[in-house]
Amino acid sequence: MNEMFEFRLHGRGGQGIVVAASIFAEAVFLEGFYARAFSLFGAERRGAPVTAFIRVSKDRLMPRSRIYQPDYVVVFDSTITGSTLIAGLKDEGTLLVNGGESWDDNLTGILGPDNRYQIKTVDATQIAWKHKLAIGSFPMVNTVMLGAMGRISGLTSLENLISSIKKRVSASIDANISAVTEGYERVKEVERLVT
Amino acid sequence: MAFELMSGSQAAAVAVQRVGIDLVAAYPITPQTAIVETLANFEAKGELGGEFVSVESEYAALACCYGAAATGARAFTATSSHGLAYMHEIIHWCSGARVPIVMVNVNRTIGAPWSLDPDQGDSLSQRDTGWMQIYCANAQEVFDTVLQAYALAEELLLPCMVVFDGFYISHTYEAIDVAEKEEVRRFIGPPGFEAQVKPGSPGNTHALTTGENQLLLVRNRHETMLRAPAVFEEINKRFSDIMGRSYKIIDYVIPPGAKTVFLAAGSTSETVRWALPKLNNTGLIQLRMFRPFPAGQLRSVLAAHDVEKVIVVDRNCSTGMGGIFAQELRSALYEMENPPQVQDMILAGGVDLTFEMLEKILIPGPDESRTEDKWGVDLK
Repeated sequence: MNEMFEFRLHGRGGQGIVVAASIFAEAVFLEGFYARAFSLFGAERRGAPVTAFIRVSKDRLMPRSRIYQPDYVVVFDSTITGSTLIAGLKDEGTLLVNGGESWDDNLTGILGPDNRYQIKTVDATQIAWKHKLAIGSFPMVNTVMLGAMGRISGLTSLENLISSIKKRVSASIDANISAVTEGYERVKEVERLVT
Repeated sequence: MAFELMSGSQAAAVAVQRVGIDLVAAYPITPQTAIVETLANFEAKGELGGEFVSVESEYAALACCYGAAATGARAFTATSSHGLAYMHEIIHWCSGARVPIVMVNVNRTIGAPWSLDPDQGDSLSQRDTGWMQIYCANAQEVFDTVLQAYALAEELLLPCMVVFDGFYISHTYEAIDVAEKEEVRRFIGPPGFEAQVKPGSPGNTHALTTGENQLLLVRNRHETMLRAPAVFEEINKRFSDIMGRSYKIIDYVIPPGAKTVFLAAGSTSETVRWALPKLNNTGLIQLRMFRPFPAGQLRSVLAAHDVEKVIVVDRNCSTGMGGIFAQELRSALYEMENPPQVQDMILAGGVDLTFEMLEKILIPGPDESRTEDKWGVDLK
């Protein structure tokens, strides 16, 4: 069996995490992987917590279950907190958070002393505002987060992310390309807050 | 052919558009909505190739398809759960009237309480309505099976239900090989079955009958459906010559010497297939065709491989009897000389099947019988 890479994405309805998952799946497919992007939701509505998953493998055959032990947990909305966020995250895994300085404090709340995964942040909200990516007062952070996901996982190049965005996003293409690029470049590692 | 990333629901809708549809009538319900949306988008762009009728309910959707198919048109509808239950009367009528409609049902639990998870009880509760039923394990199978279902239905003049799990397939984006319209045309031409109703030629259809006449019709329908596996084989041969992909009624992997096999229909079969190399000497029978039930083929495969135990993955439960696939299998095995034991793994409510659950059911605890039926929650 080939190695699998599993992502769990947490966000809110309207943030485009389901679309982000399918863009990422398409980009890694262009890299020569098989990928599946899927989501779990109740009755969809703006603002409600949404979970999406991505599974990546060189092998077409993959399980069709949910992801319980992800290699990557990606948090699109820093107002979603709590221990369920990091449930099952592998020791050697990575937590990627949309966060500026204030989120670094919130991290303490969900980190136990035994957690060994890496923590990366990207200030996706600020970058989204900068490129005027918003629906009303709701910043659209998904393409920024995609850039960061591509960078930290190494599973797709920025070029393939851009190709996939061009194919699957219909509005504000230039702003989204700038956003994915900035997400790719500006994701940073957070020093461990607990040892 | 070109690989495209799409969800299971989109795969169903694109297949319907490629097959050359005359009429689509459908009503949205989660998790099937994306099928109707995708078809409505084709209609909006003038690419559907047939008529799209927005109806006020699922009952009306199937009734509309019936009317179209009675005139010899190729008709499609899709639904889930409560929508399928609401169609129930017309579902019977369509098979009695021998109209070759293809319907997609995306599995979703029927309430109460409300749930969106993919219990198979919606389609399985239509088991006795005279429709063929084929269960798909991934989006590629969905695309291909919709095409094959039209060929099968129109050959036998029986309606066919193409079934797949909500979310695990309907909302999962994956790369599939999508046949172009010309390739599909080479596989299946325009519908050629006879119209029961001809505009301009008034008459009555399916008028009042009596027991004995009805019996003859029921027997004919039953015997016709039993021909489905053989007809499917011919259709699949033609399909694989054009598309390069091939399907079976039951698709099995049984390693030499394996004494235990899982039997699963739909997306859970893919989880089992993936897990097999990590499960000690265990096999899989993927049940694709459920109606007609391939009893003879199942007996032959189990006998030929000396299988001692079948663990049935049932994402459904007939209250008061148990998992429905297990019931059907046990009934088929009654005529076998040394039938394998059957153990049921009941994931009613649309419970997720994980690798850990497969591992756990293979190694019973010290106080458990080897064949005691298991509920999903007890395998966590």
